[in-house]
Amino acid sequence: MTPIVSLRDVQKYYGTYHALRGIDLDIAQGEFFSLLGPSGCGKTTLLRTIAGFEEISSGTLLLSGQDMSGVPANKRPTNMVFQSYAIFPHLSVAENVAFGLRKRGDLNAKAKQALVEDSLDMVGLGGFGARAAHALSGGQRQRVALARALILKPKVLLLDEPLSALDKKLREQMQNELRRLQRHVGITFVLVTHDQEEALIMSDRIAVMFEGEIAQLADPQTLYRRPKSRRVADFIGVMNFLPATASGKTVEIGGLGRADIEPEQCPAGTPAGGCTVGIRPETMSILFGDEPAPARETTGTVHELAYYGDMTYYDIVLDGVEKPVTLSMKNLVGRRVLERGETARISWDERALVVFA
Amino acid sequence: MTWLRGYALLYLLFLYAPIILLPMFAFNDSTIIAFPLSGFTIRWFVEIPNTPALVKSVQTSVIIAVTTALLSTTLGICAARAGAKYTFPFKAPILGFIMLPLVLPEIIVAVSLLVVLLALGLPLGHWTVILGHTLICTPFCIAILNSAFANLDPSLEEAAFDLGESRWSTFRLITLPLVMPGIISALLISFTISLDEFIIAFFLTGTEPTLPVYLWGQLRFPQKIPVVMALGTILVALSVLLLILAEFARRRGIARMGGKDTGGFL
Repeated sequence: MTPIVSLRDVQKYYGTYHALRGIDLDIAQGEFFSLLGPSGCGKTTLLRTIAGFEEISSGTLLLSGQDMSGVPANKRPTNMVFQSYAIFPHLSVAENVAFGLRKRGDLNAKAKQALVEDSLDMVGLGGFGARAAHALSGGQRQRVALARALILKPKVLLLDEPLSALDKKLREQMQNELRRLQRHVGITFVLVTHDQEEALIMSDRIAVMFEGEIAQLADPQTLYRRPKSRRVADFIGVMNFLPATASGKTVEIGGLGRADIEPEQCPAGTPAGGCTVGIRPETMSILFGDEPAPARETTGTVHELAYYGDMTYYDIVLDGVEKPVTLSMKNLVGRRVLERGETARISWDERALVVFA
Repeated sequence: MTWLRGYALLYLLFLYAPIILLPMFAFNDSTIIAFPLSGFTIRWFVEIPNTPALVKSVQTSVIIAVTTALLSTTLGICAARAGAKYTFPFKAPILGFIMLPLVLPEIIVAVSLLVVLLALGLPLGHWTVILGHTLICTPFCIAILNSAFANLDPSLEEAAFDLGESRWSTFRLITLPLVMPGIISALLISFTISLDEFIIAFFLTGTEPTLPVYLWGQLRFPQKIPVVMALGTILVALSVLLLILAEFARRRGIARMGGKDTGGFL
């Protein structure tokens, strides 16, 4: 099947600044795709390139097989939800949503009104049509922006950090709703975000971008479990890095000991000699009393701890390693929170390791 | 704080006492502008339409002021939009130079324009005054419209374009309504500046003087002064009415768009 969005060696220069450095990307019909990266990595430029607000300097951009070079934004089968929502303040909610239908001569006023009502119902704003757009809350503006973009049934909906202006509770609620809406309408969503958690929760696939390049393109689980580089690993969640020496299928890890590794644990290729091993905080745990270790075991001292209510994060100094590693423990019923300076037995599993060159 | 209140009162008196004198003597039944007042009359008002040269000068001034307001506001819209939306080489010096007439002494503008026009052998008339007035009004319009355009979220235009509108219909449907309060302000300010401008009009006017130039000429004849006062009274009343209407429109516009009121005339 033809990908709905297809980029081949796309380059973008602003003067001498190289904003996009050879982007190759295929996005399938119906996918929820995220562009994730720190600010200035080119993710918004890439989105605006697909929308047609920025011309690409070289390379090709196809939307459902059609070359988009020279096609302006108002002629592309894409619609955009802007970071500021860009709700027209002098129009009512219904007029905002109906704005894109102005050019649809095939629809009479009644059909347009029905479409507007359907769209507003879909985003949970049924009956809000007559309201003044400026009187809406942030979350409601967000919904109007969605309804306004979706009413045109675009092939691709582009979302530029749509949730960054909302407070935490509302953001989490909208993440769920966006996901549900996307499954419901079946339209391809391309989301730009700098929030790795948001990308993991919502996306089918994620492209992590640094400095105008795609550092890794994968589904959320692969991205989290098998990051290709230390930089990606560091950007997605928390990962501890330990110095190690590799020889063949085994690595000697400082503070943990010897471990056997599978090729799939080395996403950037099998290393030899000095390397770095990554391990996520939640794959390690503290062993209480004489509880046996399910896999491997080591010891360390509690250096610092942070109590979050549901979880406790410990910084633990492993024997023979200077920099403490972070591990997280659920605060289960009857489970004690350790104190600073206490010695603890630490359980870990070699299947959780990722090896970087 | 009593002295502060007294100061405020004196200040207001200083600002408005001369204007209050205007209607007083306009209705005073005497050609001599002095107290005590000698009685009530409206004959100075009746005399206005019977002074053809005065009526003609009002017409001239209104034509010039309206044309100037339209021209300088149009130029102001173009400059303010370009300044807000685009980046181009030498943008800062260009925009700075456009604003220069704001601080240039009018007498310099008037004399140099006259020299240029005479050197080119062009006849003086309405259009030369319009030219001079547009030159000094455009910076005011740009200053007013700059803030209107700067407050406009650029993604509003992008959103309209993204929803299928053309560049022009986006401007007409989104940009123009949102900067309309600024446009109305710019029109009013440039109209007012042009209407009462004297120096440029005096230097560049042809055979038909504008109202300020005509009035200046009449001051040599003391018996004509009460008529001038009567006309002045009408103009003050009209300006106040215009200002109230403009402010009303501005507040309604802001309320309709849910913006915050951050100034204006009143």
